[in-house]
Amino acid sequence: MVVAVVWLYPKAFAQANRTARANVQLDNVDRQLGGGNSVLPDQAIAIEARGRIPTHGTFAVAVGPRQPEWSVLADPGSLENYMRYFLLPRRINPSAPWILCFACDRSAFPGAQPVWEDSAEGLAILRRPP
Amino acid sequence: MTWRALAGLTALNLAYAIVGLSLLWGLLAFRTWGALLRLAGLGYLVGLAAFGVLWTALLVAGVPFGGVGIVVSLVVLAAAGVVFGRFRGARLERGLPRIGGTPIVLVSAAGIALAGLFLEAVFRAARLLSLQEYDAWAFWVPKGKAIYFFDGLDARLFTTAPNASYPPLQPILDAAAFHAMGGADVVTLHVQFWFVVVGAVGAAAGLLHPRTPPWLLWPPLLLVLVVPRFGERLLAPQGDVLLDVLVAVAALLLALWLGDAAGWRLAAAAVLLAAGANTKREGILFAACVLAAAFVVSRPRLWPQLVAASLAVGLAVLPWRIWTARHEISSGTPPSFDTGRLAGAFRLSFDVLYSNARWSVLPLVATVALAAAVVWGDRRLATYIGFVAVGLFAGGVWSTVGFPDLAITADESGNPIVRYTGSMVFLAAVAAPLLLSSVWRKGDKP
Repeated sequence: MVVAVVWLYPKAFAQANRTARANVQLDNVDRQLGGGNSVLPDQAIAIEARGRIPTHGTFAVAVGPRQPEWSVLADPGSLENYMRYFLLPRRINPSAPWILCFACDRSAFPGAQPVWEDSAEGLAILRRPP
Repeated sequence: MTWRALAGLTALNLAYAIVGLSLLWGLLAFRTWGALLRLAGLGYLVGLAAFGVLWTALLVAGVPFGGVGIVVSLVVLAAAGVVFGRFRGARLERGLPRIGGTPIVLVSAAGIALAGLFLEAVFRAARLLSLQEYDAWAFWVPKGKAIYFFDGLDARLFTTAPNASYPPLQPILDAAAFHAMGGADVVTLHVQFWFVVVGAVGAAAGLLHPRTPPWLLWPPLLLVLVVPRFGERLLAPQGDVLLDVLVAVAALLLALWLGDAAGWRLAAAAVLLAAGANTKREGILFAACVLAAAFVVSRPRLWPQLVAASLAVGLAVLPWRIWTARHEISSGTPPSFDTGRLAGAFRLSFDVLYSNARWSVLPLVATVALAAAVVWGDRRLATYIGFVAVGLFAGGVWSTVGFPDLAITADESGNPIVRYTGSMVFLAAVAAPLLLSSVWRKGDKP
């Protein structure tokens, strides 16, 4: 057991130091998004949504067909779970005025206008008329 | 991360330690300042556990969770310990921990220094760590945020989040941390988990110190921190590590209680097991394994105390069960038992437990220590540890057999058996010194 400690301790100690250095070098957006960087097609939709949707507001997540550039983790369940986590205290509601559209079928939301868009990734934040 | 957030978090965790030490003092666990220092880690875990169990019941009862409520509950818990202690004639006198001769001091100092150095490096990693783990952002931290933002068990989120049947103790601790930090800072939140790891190491070392020589105590404790599967993963904002340390320290307390029948050990173990049962679904299974093993090996005259402790744990589980029943959430027990999967599940649990790449030699050494204690050491202690270990192992096999959706694989995206096995590895780390010590002392009781 002592041999195992002697063998593993320096490795674990060095790894913790490497992680600490890597964490310091992350910018604030990467640090805030964390796992979202592996799920979201683009960071901007999360940051824009946090800035635009009021904290007491509600939103819906609509996901269309997977786009070629998206990560394998960008499935509807993961995207909705992640946006719920990231945007709390904003709540999910299917009839919410704000729609986070991931290559969604916009005709399903008649009258909703894009307030932010990233056409290359098929992302948009839509706003239903009041 | 801000210094204000770190200071708030430190104050909250200090409050947990004060609460726990007050409760332990009330239970007559120590009489000197030296013993208080030795039990500070255990006090921290007991305080955190008592706070979590209390607030699980309060949230189910509809009491709003806020800054004032947190402070009042901590003060009430601490005061309860002090008043109970006064009533029972508890005292606090001068006295330093018994350390031993020079070589012993050197080994202890080396162990403490190495653990401290590693934990300091992990702290630097923790304070700016981004939240990466899928389960953490899918349901653990959202539940904590929901308690923080909506002051309670928000039914809309708690009934629709993945793993809705998981009890809320860990999210309650997250929400308390958010209040202490002044905001839902999911980066600095990792430091809360660092405090739990520090408390667990302190608790195990403090409990084992009078019973085991330091050269048997420190290698397993250091090894469990640095095995490849742990390291910084100890800081994942999920309930797994908290459950592991609560169960392992509770099992250790009961192992020592079997030797000296000190009531405070049983009471503290009951608090930790109640918290474990309110942390994850398998916490109930773990608590049952530990208590059942204690029943099997203890003398009948101790059974009434064990029955009382078991009832206390059972009562602590009730509020969350009532809440889930009221909201028609499935209990989350395995829905079937497909015997065709039994052999594969057994092999998987065995391979994961004895995986050198994950846990190094720790489970193997603990198994050898168990066998040695059966032959040359304290057979009752070995029987107890063996029963607990077999129970936990069987629980892991049962979960893979019982959930047909789980693939028979060690891949963590397909089966949580690796995370589940963490509890057995923590148990190995705290049990190995005790077992080896009993062999070393040629059958002396622990």
